[in-house]
Amino acid sequence: MRLALLLLCLAAPLAGQSVRSRLEGRVPAPSVPVLDSLIAIAAAEHLPTEPLIQKAIEGGTKDVPGERIERAVALDVEQLRRAQALLVRAGDAPPVTPVEVTSVAWALKRGLAPPMVEHVVAALPNQPRSSAFHAIADLVAHGFSADSAADLILAAVREGVHGLRLLDVSGAAVQELQRGSTHADALARVRAGLPNVPATPPPARSAVEGARRPAAPAQKP
Amino acid sequence: MNPIDPTIHKVLDGEIGPEALSPAQRRDADRLGAAAALLAAAPVGASVEQRVMAAIQRPAPSAGRRLVRWALRPHAVVLRMRPVWSLALVASILLLAVLPSPEAGLQLGDEEGIAQFVGRFPGARSVHVVGSFNDWGPVSIPLEDRDHDGVWRAAVVLPEGTHEYMFVVDGERWVVDPLAGRFVADGFGRENSLLIVRSLRR
Amino acid sequence: MDVGEGPSDAEVVARVLSGEREAFGLLIRRYEPGLLRYATRMLGSRDAAADAVAEGLVRAYRHLASCRDPERLRTWLYRIVTNRCKSHMGRRPTGDVSLDDAPPIADPGDTEAALERAEALALVERALMTLSPEKREAFLLKHVEDMSYEEMAAATGERIPTLKMRVHRAREALLEALKEYQ
Repeated sequence: MRLALLLLCLAAPLAGQSVRSRLEGRVPAPSVPVLDSLIAIAAAEHLPTEPLIQKAIEGGTKDVPGERIERAVALDVEQLRRAQALLVRAGDAPPVTPVEVTSVAWALKRGLAPPMVEHVVAALPNQPRSSAFHAIADLVAHGFSADSAADLILAAVREGVHGLRLLDVSGAAVQELQRGSTHADALARVRAGLPNVPATPPPARSAVEGARRPAAPAQKP
Repeated sequence: MNPIDPTIHKVLDGEIGPEALSPAQRRDADRLGAAAALLAAAPVGASVEQRVMAAIQRPAPSAGRRLVRWALRPHAVVLRMRPVWSLALVASILLLAVLPSPEAGLQLGDEEGIAQFVGRFPGARSVHVVGSFNDWGPVSIPLEDRDHDGVWRAAVVLPEGTHEYMFVVDGERWVVDPLAGRFVADGFGRENSLLIVRSLRR
Repeated sequence: MDVGEGPSDAEVVARVLSGEREAFGLLIRRYEPGLLRYATRMLGSRDAAADAVAEGLVRAYRHLASCRDPERLRTWLYRIVTNRCKSHMGRRPTGDVSLDDAPPIADPGDTEAALERAEALALVERALMTLSPEKREAFLLKHVEDMSYEEMAAATGERIPTLKMRVHRAREALLEALKEYQ
């Protein structure tokens, strides 16, 4: 696979200098051209590149061998392609936006099945779906079946709950579970209360006032 | 080990109804039920689907190769940071020590929110958070244990959206955030914590 | 639900056995949350659980033809993962093995309540780990995975009277441990 990737390096259009400069010093040197090329290919296909750069840098920080980083980034490119194809299949007009490709990729990464993801995309034609996917995935992670999770979240959307408020819906169901309800009862209770779900309380004033911004990453000499 | 009343067992096995229990027996049954509910409600780790599908695409190894693979399988789970980043970590701690403390009246953009990082690490000398929001280090974000009670905290302004991250304890031990509630495979055989930041304005 | 409950386990198994490898993904997504939850509690470590469940699922794929009753796929999968867990328990090195600290909960808007819940859960987990593996397995399958004694018998290969005894002893041991920690 590595030889194939190296050959692709020669064929691919030149990557932006900024990508290479972000990788240099952060990933094993022999992997820089391979990763640069993978990211350039993704860019040429109108796939989001920032998640790929982040994955490469993450691997470098975690001291992962170069070949393993290359494999992980290549798999992520594949997943982004699948996300892009899924969006088109579900009815989004091409070119699909990088934001939506990223949100579908997250849904797949968190274990949601492609037919389910497609269904959610089609059910929410003109709005961002990221929160809906995360809310469904949160419920699945707590033992709700994927079908009943999607059912609840889409019901919430129909009742006028949108965007990050959908995380309050999944959060409410999980809280019911933590109080000792069965999964079925938890879903029923939250559904009966729609569109009213308790909002996640905002951070305390002391937290807001004491908050820092992350310092900018060190500039390369 | 103290045996408990057989009535409790019968109720918990569904053989008779809970009305058969005395108040004290009810308390014991409820305690067990609450313990089970806590265990059932806790979220699971990252999906293993990608790992499994990749493995089944490969042909099954012979017994000899299986033995070699087992011997080569990494058992260490403590990921050590590369030494150069440890130096950068020290540098970033010093840098922050000389900076003025954050001023009141912090102005947030429309698409920014506050991430509250909290973790209990008694005995730790330092705890930092590293993730997709700061290019996975080297200038990482320190948590503080102001009360010296082993509870480390930081509030950080981050863009609205999805972020992957981990804690780094004592400059070298990588851990997922114990309170994250969301996990995703990192593609390198481990997991990251996942955080969704919500704008305070919307 | 509009998407429908999806194909039955027996249908998916038939598809996989006829060569449709990708269909196995459906079974993974259907069962991995429960299997991960169970393995995490058995082994006390999310990483070890991920390994045990991944290995178990790969093994299940390779031996899918030997699953005699696809209608009872769930208990068959639990049986395989239980064996993987036993194998992991046998080979776990001592020392700083687990990356896990207090277990997580959903979206903590209130960080103090979140810490309290995490500690309550940590207490239960600690109590659970004082049980022998057989009792732990019995308690988890009965009260967390919600299996009937018949299903547990299929998942463990043990007789129902044996399992009942283990569950009863597990409840007693857990209650005692919880009282001691609180």
